[in-house]
Amino acid sequence: MAAVRHSSSDGSSHRGMLLLLLLPGLLALLTTFLLPLIWLVRASFASSAVAALKGGDWTLESYRTVLYDPFYWKVAWNTLYLGVNVAIFAVALSYPIALFLARTKSRWRGVLTALAVAPLLTSSVVRTYGWMVILGDRGVINAALQSSGLTDGVIRLTNNYFGATVALVEILMPYAILAMLSGFGRLNTQFEEAAALLGANRFRVFTRIILPLSLPGVLTAALLVFVLAISSFVTPRLMGGGRVFVIGTEVYNEATVTLNWPLAAALSVLLLVLFGSVILIYQRAMRALET
Amino acid sequence: MADHHLEIDNLVKTYPGALKPSVDRVSLSLPRGEMLALLGPSGCGKTTILRMIAGLIPVTAGEIRLDGRGISAIPVHKRNMGMVFQAYALFPHMTVAENIGFGLEMRGVGKAERTERVLKALDLVKLSGYGERRVSQLSGGQQQRAAIARSLVIEPALLLFDEPLSNLDAKLRDEMRDEIRDIQNRTGVTSIFVTHDQDEALSMADRLAVMSEGRLEQIGTPRQIFDRPRTDFVASFIGAGSFLTGTVVAPGRADVPGLGILHFTGDVPAGGKARFLVRPHRFVLGEGVNAFSGVVEHVVYRGQILTIAVRAGDHRLQADLPTHAATLPAKGDRVTLSVAPDDVTLVGEAA
Ligand SMILES: Nc1ncnc2c1ncn2[C@@H]1O[C@H](COP(=O)(O)OP(=O)(O)OP(=O)(O)O)[C@@H](O)[C@H]1O
Ligand SMILES: [Mg+2]
Repeated sequence: MAAVRHSSSDGSSHRGMLLLLLLPGLLALLTTFLLPLIWLVRASFASSAVAALKGGDWTLESYRTVLYDPFYWKVAWNTLYLGVNVAIFAVALSYPIALFLARTKSRWRGVLTALAVAPLLTSSVVRTYGWMVILGDRGVINAALQSSGLTDGVIRLTNNYFGATVALVEILMPYAILAMLSGFGRLNTQFEEAAALLGANRFRVFTRIILPLSLPGVLTAALLVFVLAISSFVTPRLMGGGRVFVIGTEVYNEATVTLNWPLAAALSVLLLVLFGSVILIYQRAMRALET
Repeated sequence: MADHHLEIDNLVKTYPGALKPSVDRVSLSLPRGEMLALLGPSGCGKTTILRMIAGLIPVTAGEIRLDGRGISAIPVHKRNMGMVFQAYALFPHMTVAENIGFGLEMRGVGKAERTERVLKALDLVKLSGYGERRVSQLSGGQQQRAAIARSLVIEPALLLFDEPLSNLDAKLRDEMRDEIRDIQNRTGVTSIFVTHDQDEALSMADRLAVMSEGRLEQIGTPRQIFDRPRTDFVASFIGAGSFLTGTVVAPGRADVPGLGILHFTGDVPAGGKARFLVRPHRFVLGEGVNAFSGVVEHVVYRGQILTIAVRAGDHRLQADLPTHAATLPAKGDRVTLSVAPDDVTLVGEAA
């Protein structure tokens, strides 16, 4: 009995120690994440910006606007559409790179991995401007097309969803590569060798072994890119030139131009709901993959 | 030569960028149905040979023939080799039955026949009823069996094992040892298994091939390898023993400096030098033909046997004595060890 009591008191002091260690992190989360979140939800139920700051009546007005104004349905749809497109292309383009990096036995592997994610070292704003130079009306591509006589007029590559998608895909690819590399833990050349010995040619080794085993990494990358894409603001704004309407740009508009903070807050909550549902789907899929 | 199922002829493997070959002119052949153990210290090239036979890596030089036909040019997925990996390499995203059926599926075997053959294979390795389990729901020993079933169900030309037992605990290892041998006997599949455990090799294989630094040192039955090692390396790698070098003074008699006259059986012309080995369990306590006296320097009690080291002249002799004797020698005692001439192993002629 004494031994049991001793060990249990030992265990609880151990737990106390853990709590103490967690405290700074918890405090930081509370002040920088949870409190603003609570405030955001509260603001979405306020009747005006002033009420959002000072408190006051609760109203569903902003949600009513979001739900009944077809414009916001369109914005939600645009956001989803952009997110899905960016996720598909970023994942499709990153997959071969990540697969190569995960499987190579070259001693340059570390260097190559660093190179693949090196774009993260420059700000996404800078890279967005880079894309404006390339895709703009008088940008590199249009100039090349015209001087070669392939086209007469300007082909619109910016100030639309296409431009925003292209820039976001490139900007988010390093994240996709990193997420895949961390999700490829089950890949192992022994499985490939075993499959080959059992009679699988290269194509079947890929479809039956490599692809299914790398799917968790692909899924994680897709989730990450999607979430980053639908919450992005700078790139859709700059590449869209005011013609791309997604939740990120509209929150910004309502918060800084129209100064309708409750509506901005309600749109942000909508985005959170989107996040939540996507993460639920992701968890379901992961569980299905890993059992 | 046609009676040999597998023939390996002067096989060489030099990995890209390596200075010396990892496998150096190895030749051996296996009759159909034989189980050969490839034995040697870490890094001697065992896995490399196995992987060349399997087709996982190209050969640098030499020939691998199966039923007289060279197979070096056949790609791995068409070679029909069964291989059991050390870590089993069962596909984690498939059930046990799907794993075992994979090879059949790749061969275009229809679903009904596949199911039937998978069930038979499961039965063969005593895993009936485990087919629908995930790989992660199997114990180490069961995974091992599943891996064997997966390799056997395709009716491979050869079954290759790379240290199949090293991931199992001691008790399970003994069990799987018998199990593998039994399965091999029942299926009659020609097998090679790699190990660096001499007990495993001696107890499981029909023949042993002992390797050192990429070269084949000796190949033979367990008895030949143990009792008639041809080189110092083989003699010391398989079991312990005391090495003695002497000058042959008359047929069957050698003068070992610092010890005395050693009687042995074997043909070495007088005047030549020869290497001898005496296994610890061949020594008996007491007077005999080859009797050497000395002081016990070291004693280890091991239950069944007592291992002692005796300083005799300039030599240290190691002996394993049965422990049922009335009195056992203790450290510091003066004892006489003797060994029958037949029990003195002639390792080879020394330079
Ligand atoms: N892919 C490779 N590239 C270069 N050298 C290699 C490679 N694989 C093995 N070697 C070298 O070849 C030699 C033989 O290796 P091998 O794996 O065949 O040894 P082994 O006998 O199976 O050893 P162990 O008992 O440790 O498994 C070693 O010196 C090893 O360093
Ligand atoms: Mg090995």
